[in-house]
Amino acid sequence: MTETLTLAHKELTDLRRNRFMVVLFAFLAVTVVLSVVVASADFRLKIADYHHYLDALAASGNAAAVPAPQLFPLQMLRGGIEYLEIIGSLFAVVLGYSMITKEKGRGTLQLIFSRPLGRYAFAGGKILALVLLWTATVTGLFIVITATLLLVGNAPLQGGDYLRLALAAAHTIAYLIIWSLLAMALASLTRRTGTGLILALVLWLIVVLIIPQIGDTMDPDNQIPGGLFASLQVDASHEQAVMAHFTGYETTRDLIEQSSVTKQYERATFAYLGIKTEYNQQPLGFIWAGTFNNTLWLLAGLALSVSAALLAATKKTILRKAP
Amino acid sequence: MNRWTAIIIQELLCTARERLPQLLLAVFVGMIAASAFIGSSARASVAGVYREVVRQGLTTAPNPFDALSPLYYARNTVIYIVLIGALLAIVIGVRSTLRDRQARTADLILSRDVRPSHYLGAKLTGLALFILALLAVSAVINIGCISIVTGHAMSFDDGARIASLYAVAWLFMLPFVGLGMASGICSSSSTTALLVPIVIWSVMIFILPLLGTAAHPVSLLNPVAAPPAAQSGFFAVTSSLVAPLSLGEQFKHVSALILSDPQATGTMTSGLLIIAAFAAAGCAAATMTGRVRMRSELHD
Repeated sequence: MTETLTLAHKELTDLRRNRFMVVLFAFLAVTVVLSVVVASADFRLKIADYHHYLDALAASGNAAAVPAPQLFPLQMLRGGIEYLEIIGSLFAVVLGYSMITKEKGRGTLQLIFSRPLGRYAFAGGKILALVLLWTATVTGLFIVITATLLLVGNAPLQGGDYLRLALAAAHTIAYLIIWSLLAMALASLTRRTGTGLILALVLWLIVVLIIPQIGDTMDPDNQIPGGLFASLQVDASHEQAVMAHFTGYETTRDLIEQSSVTKQYERATFAYLGIKTEYNQQPLGFIWAGTFNNTLWLLAGLALSVSAALLAATKKTILRKAP
Repeated sequence: MNRWTAIIIQELLCTARERLPQLLLAVFVGMIAASAFIGSSARASVAGVYREVVRQGLTTAPNPFDALSPLYYARNTVIYIVLIGALLAIVIGVRSTLRDRQARTADLILSRDVRPSHYLGAKLTGLALFILALLAVSAVINIGCISIVTGHAMSFDDGARIASLYAVAWLFMLPFVGLGMASGICSSSSTTALLVPIVIWSVMIFILPLLGTAAHPVSLLNPVAAPPAAQSGFFAVTSSLVAPLSLGEQFKHVSALILSDPQATGTMTSGLLIIAAFAAAGCAAATMTGRVRMRSELHD
């Protein structure tokens, strides 16, 4: 156990000194903050449009009541969450990959394994460091996001909102750890520098971009700008009645989407943040009942990636693949 | 065989032999082949939904997919070029120059009477030809798959439009090859060499469009563009600043016009000029690297 902690401590020290990783994390933070700023500007624009519309109605002598656009602060995080699922996972891949390749490049693997380490101590130390790093980084990111919501978005957050943010952060930590550990496992299993990274990038491309893209494109409502049902002037209740006739197609589409861990993460976080309309302003118990399978799949992915990293980064496997 | 041709042939051989870019290549060609079938499945579901909506008497609007052009089935291709094609271009560009640095062949080659710009220009030409061949094959596959889905051979006019799409795709992928090559030469490690152009790509594809139109990153993966934010105030300023740099959106706009997308408006001149300017900048970045930089050691 002590050796695992020592290795984790060494990893964290290495990462703190790695300027490139610091720049990447800063870039991620700036990106997420920018998305909140843009969402806030978009909402202000909608409010301004609404007032113009009211003025125009009043000028024409029409007194019809038009509901004002409602601000749900956590919905402003949609872009930020999507950046975490796309760009965050990309950086997680690089981080996990670099945990192994730096040892291979420096030739320190042989030195480390000359010590009497337990079979899983090396991998355990790296995994622990990744868990601590992502926990600290994502916590920091969500603090920055919350501050941006409060200051730039001028959004009043309630007590329950902080809990929802914490739940979204917990899902984000699990999601990013999965990607780092998968990349770490692939880097351990490949001999050439770069091979593991490209393999991890291909996996990232398929899971993060291609599978969700296929599912998204197959959605009938995504075939027309503004939505198919909106263009046909069909309201939400009738939409569900119509789609009930296409359960086979919808199930296939759903299965395609569910095969991507990214979609599992997205569905759960969108629900807790109220970005998905059906979960907006709903109690946490209701959201859990609707999305627990997404959270469980995410946890299954986490368990799988931890196992893969533990098994791939043993002395026997990793030294066989060392240059 | 002159030196220029020898370098081009060598580059083509090396790129074709690289196993990992081949993996990306397989994903790219596979998705191009699948795109027509994905489009066909989406169209069939929309037709079914429309029939059901009419049967229930919920609409009198015409079917939005009536008289649909076969080019509709190529819409997904555009997204795969932006995602997989650009990444493939980056990877082969990075591998091209990293290969020289890792094997220290740059030292040997530059000991001969070869100017670095000529050498890199020839390498870039080799990679450009490789991508051209890849896109030509993809275009044939795409036309074949669309013909299978529609049940008849594609007309000459539609075929010419698909060919034009791939010609623009070639121009779109060139700056990423150049960027990859430049990164492969300038970076201190192979990780940074791959990561830097990928970060630049992610900025151009996912971040800049959000600043200009408030479009959500995942919605950019859908070939049907989301309605943009009103172009006034904040977005009028940001859009004018970032739109010319949003290479992915420019390519998507030009492609939509080429594919006769009824929702696409405007002309393709500015989009084409921007894509060409990026291609020129990417090629210049790759070929203008100095001798010392080319011979610098990797610190992996």
